[in-house]
Formats: sequence, structure tokens, C-alpha cells
Amino acid sequence: MLEPITTRPPDGPAMLSIRDLDVHFPLANGQLVRAVEQLSLTLRAGETVGLVGESGSGKTTVGKTALRLVKPTAGHIEIGGMDVIDVSARDLRKLRQKAQIIFQDPHSSLNPRMTIRRAVSEGLILNTDLRGRTLRDRVSETLTSLGLPAQFHDRYPHELSGGQKQRVCIARALVLDPDLLVLDEPTSALDVSVQAQILGILKDLRDTRPSLTQLFISHNLAVIRFLCERVAVMYLGRIVEEGPVEQVFDAPAHPYTRALLSAVPVPEAVKRPDRMRLSGDIPSPTNVPKGCAFHTRCPIAEKGLCDTTPPPALTPGPGRMALCHFAGRTTEQT
Amino acid sequence: MTDHPLLDIRDFSLVFDTFDGTYHAIDGVNLSLQPGEALGLVGETGCGKSVLTRAAFGLVPSPPARITGGSVQLQGRELLGLSDRALRQVRGREVAMIFQDPMTYLNPVFRVGTQLVDAIRAQSGGQTKRDEAKAIALDMLEKVQLPNPNRQFAAYPHELSGGMRQRVLIAMALAAKPKLLIADEPTTALDVTIQAQILDLMAELVADMGLTMIMISHDLGVVAQVCSRIAVMYAGKIVEDAPVARIFDAPAHPYTKGLLAALPHPFRRQDRLESIPGTLPDLLHPPAGCLFAARCPHAAPICAKPVPMRRIDDSHRVACTLYDPAREKDRADA
Repeated sequence: MLEPITTRPPDGPAMLSIRDLDVHFPLANGQLVRAVEQLSLTLRAGETVGLVGESGSGKTTVGKTALRLVKPTAGHIEIGGMDVIDVSARDLRKLRQKAQIIFQDPHSSLNPRMTIRRAVSEGLILNTDLRGRTLRDRVSETLTSLGLPAQFHDRYPHELSGGQKQRVCIARALVLDPDLLVLDEPTSALDVSVQAQILGILKDLRDTRPSLTQLFISHNLAVIRFLCERVAVMYLGRIVEEGPVEQVFDAPAHPYTRALLSAVPVPEAVKRPDRMRLSGDIPSPTNVPKGCAFHTRCPIAEKGLCDTTPPPALTPGPGRMALCHFAGRTTEQT
Repeated sequence: MTDHPLLDIRDFSLVFDTFDGTYHAIDGVNLSLQPGEALGLVGETGCGKSVLTRAAFGLVPSPPARITGGSVQLQGRELLGLSDRALRQVRGREVAMIFQDPMTYLNPVFRVGTQLVDAIRAQSGGQTKRDEAKAIALDMLEKVQLPNPNRQFAAYPHELSGGMRQRVLIAMALAAKPKLLIADEPTTALDVTIQAQILDLMAELVADMGLTMIMISHDLGVVAQVCSRIAVMYAGKIVEDAPVARIFDAPAHPYTKGLLAALPHPFRRQDRLESIPGTLPDLLHPPAGCLFAARCPHAAPICAKPVPMRRIDDSHRVACTLYDPAREKDRADA
């Protein structure tokens, strides 16, 4: 029998700590979009954690709320021990210097009228006293270290390819020497050969900046597996499973994780036998099913339990969590 | 092979006349499909995979496009040079297409059923009566496994999810029992669990209806689920064409190898991904020889000459000098 989780002791100091987060958006018709519900997630300093989910699961909202780009409805968020929610405008600005974000579409994240040197300098000008020669050197050094040599520094975004633009966005975030980096689908707009370059850069950061904590948001399970140490799987605003990447991918404890993994089109000629298909679509976050949010699509849901009682957070293994009445049993059945 | 191919594209070339000069989008493509075959056409952004399949059936406006040579035969009948009217008869009845974003291809102000009935009647040149068309439409909605066909028939497109809309478009495309289905990134806009549903459906339809299909995708994993053969395009040329198993297990072209090495795998531990160095060639001034040579680890002087497609066995073709007996001789001479 699995024990419910009480506390999971982190091995190191928490860099990002989210507790009992709710983010709700009211609609004009009086309905409420429950984008994030009762979500808790802790990232230890230096850790790379993947947040995976389908569209509408709330993963982007979590990332934006963590940096206070969205105001939460309820809950606590701390970055490096500092409260992000009840914070003065002045402190928030200091905090943002230490917590940076990179978005999916590098083109729309760059001002078309600024050279890339200017784009990368701007954060330093606003947040530091660096000026002149030192500023210039710091910017050049950062861009060059990301594979953009000097001849690119005075170009405009439209003169760069998608992969080069994403490097600029990474440089703009790293030049401020942040402690926390939120990456929201940073390679989804790129071709695979370019994606491989960007993933290589991000993985290298684990060696070159060992204290940098990364929250990597993606719908792409293969990319998460490659890059992250831990993964959290979201469904309808909740984390339904969490744990070390290899364990979760090799032996998923939640039926949704299992379905998600078996839906990944694998680039191989052999068809995998362990197929598990979900019927229907994700329910609307304005009308989240009662009991377990996943029970309407779950192949092992039990009437009278899953449709009435919210599932407990169980520990199918050390450092793991699954929000399911039958966590762990999912692999035995079928 | 003794059968006559259903589709036979020979030496097909197409340019775009731009203000900057002539852009060589497709250069000397040969591609043929046997009845009942499902071919995956794979390549990165801008490789010409969509342009090729659209231009072959008269869907690329001229100007700016200009077909500079070749032939496209559907069951022995030449399509290039047909009048717009004749081509319109071919499209819809003999060749059907589905595209990436299902919402764009449904009219938001008409009910799903109305659009299906209109399409089915148009496919028959107005021969089919309304109630007959409705019966065919409902039957097709059942075939594509749309839940509750009668209710969805009366729904507006915005009431359907992305997956359901794509099912409607597949129903519309297949109602006229076309000989050939072109599916251009049919699941790219869908979530992974929905993508898996649609890919299963397409694989079933290909098998049950004896459908011949070209599936265009940037994702090798996606085509592996449905297709039996894969053609890889690079910079307007097909560089390799082989059965799915050969592409994954024994790729011959350095570009195919590069693509596979760049791909993160969901179920394998990978420490590094190989990226392909360099960028696409300038197709305003394409080099005379192999277009991949500038990025290729095996490039040799012989690659500067035009590289024809070469058969390395019955089912496997590749355009690379590595398989050219003259290469060894060339090296010996040098």
C-alpha cells in the first residue's frame, strides 16, 4: 500500500517554491477558467525541471505566475526565499533581474527596431551601473559564448534565422546572471536540426552555470527527457505526476502520464505494443470534472470513487508523486 | 515493379520569380506512388515539400510560381497543362487534401453538415441529391469515428474541438472516394493524445479503404506511425527515398542521418544531440552540385558536380556521391 505524501524533503535550498497555487480567470459570461488549481512545485537550486502538459493544461500560466507576470488568485510563491506575491514594485524589479523568461517565438520577443546588441544591453542598462566599454564587452562576451560571433552583434532581428534569434533571447536572459530561468516552449518553433543546437546550449548551462535553476515548459516529451532531471506532468491545472525524469518515463504511475507517453510518435520503424489511447478531448477548464479531473478520459476510473472523491497525492517511489487513487497500480492492470 | 504507378512525378522543377531573382524551389524531383501506398514526405521548413504537392495539382498560383519542366501523371493522365476547370475536377474527386489547421478550412458561419453536403454535391458535379449527400455525410462522419455524428452534423465549427474538426475534414476529403489523399501536416496543430487518435484513424483508413496517401510532415515520428515509405526532401530535392524501416535503421544520405541524430528520443537516454552545422543553401543562387555539400561531413570534390538519384537496391534510392562508384576513382585521381 502506498503512503500519502506528507513532506518531500528537498536535498538543497529551494530556488522556486510554489505552494497551493490557484490561478483563475473570470470570463465575460460569468464563468471561471480554473487555469491552475492547488498546485505545489519546488525547484531546488541548480535543478532543471520540466513542466509538461497539453494545450490548456495551465503550464504556461504556472511559468508566468512564478515570475509574477500573472497575479495568482491564491497561494504562495517564493524565489530564492523572497515572497513574489506581496512585494513592492521596487523589490519586484530586483527580483525580475534574478528570474528571467524565454518564450516560444523568438521573433515576436525581439524588438525589430533594435540591434541585437541593444536588445541584450537593455536589461543591463536598466538594472546595473555597467556602461560604455564594460557594458559592451559583457554583451559581446555573452553573445559570442552562445555561438553568435561579433559580425552578428550589430544586426537587426530580421537578418537572423530563427535559431539565431532564440540564441539572442537566451543571451538577453543570461546576461543578467539570473538564478532562475523559465523557458516556455523555447524550441517549439524551430526545425529539429536547429532545435538540437538550442537544446545543446541549454544542457551546457548545467555545466557552465551550475547554480542556474531552469523551469522548462514544453508539450514535447522527448525534449523534456533529454534536458530535464525532474518532470511534472500537468492536466487541467493540476500536477498529476512528478518525479525523476527517467523513472517517470520508464514506469509512469499515473494513467494520464502513461497515455501521454504512449501517444508520442516515436521515430522508429517498430510499433510499440504498449499502446494506450485516450478517447475524447480535454474537458474545458471552465467546467473541470468533479472528483478526479481526469476520470472522464481515464481507462481505469472506478465509478463511485474517481468521479466523486478527489485523489490523494501518493508516493509511488522516492521523490515521486502521483495524484491518483490507483497510482502505481496502473502498470499492473492491462 | 509491374503495376502502373497511381501518381508519377518526373523531373518536376518549379521556380518563383521574385524581385531578388529566380528562386529555385523545386529542382528535378522524381516521385512515384503505387496504388495503396502511404508515403511520408519529410523535410525541414522551406524544403519544398508542401509546394511540390500543391503545385503538382495546380494549387500554387502562377505568377509568382513557374513550372519549368517535368510531368505529373495521375493514372497515366498528364496533369500539367490542364485547364483550371479540368484541374478542379481532378481535385476533390480524384485527389483530396487535408491541411494543418482544421479551423482555417471550415467556414465559421455555416453548420458542419451544410459544408459537408455542399462539398459532397460539388464533388459529384451537383449530381447527388441533398438527402443522398446527407446520408453519405453521416456515413462518413461515422467512418471517421466522430462521436455523436447526428449532433455534430448540426453544429458550427467553433463548437467542435481541433481533433473533431480534423475528423470532419477527413470525412469531407474521403466522401468522394478519391484515389489519392494528400495530408499536409494533418496533426501538427493538435495535442499529442489527439494526434495519436488521428494518426490511428488515418492508418486504419489507409488499410481499410485501400487509400493511396502522401503525408507531409516535419516529424519523422509522425510519418513512421502511418506510412510505409519515406521520402526525405532537402532544399527542393528529394535526397533519399526508402521503406520506413530502412530510413530509421540504415539511412544512407548524410542529411537523413543528420536529421535522425538531431532528434531527441522520448525513451532513450541521450547525452548529446548532433546538430547539423551551417544553414540552408541560397536557392536564389543554388550551387550546381549537391546542395547539402556545404554542411556535409563527407563532402568531396565530386560533390560539386550534379548528383543524380541512385538506386542502392530495389526499394532504396539516394542522391549522394558516397554511393557513386566514380567517387573512389575521383579520390584516386586526386
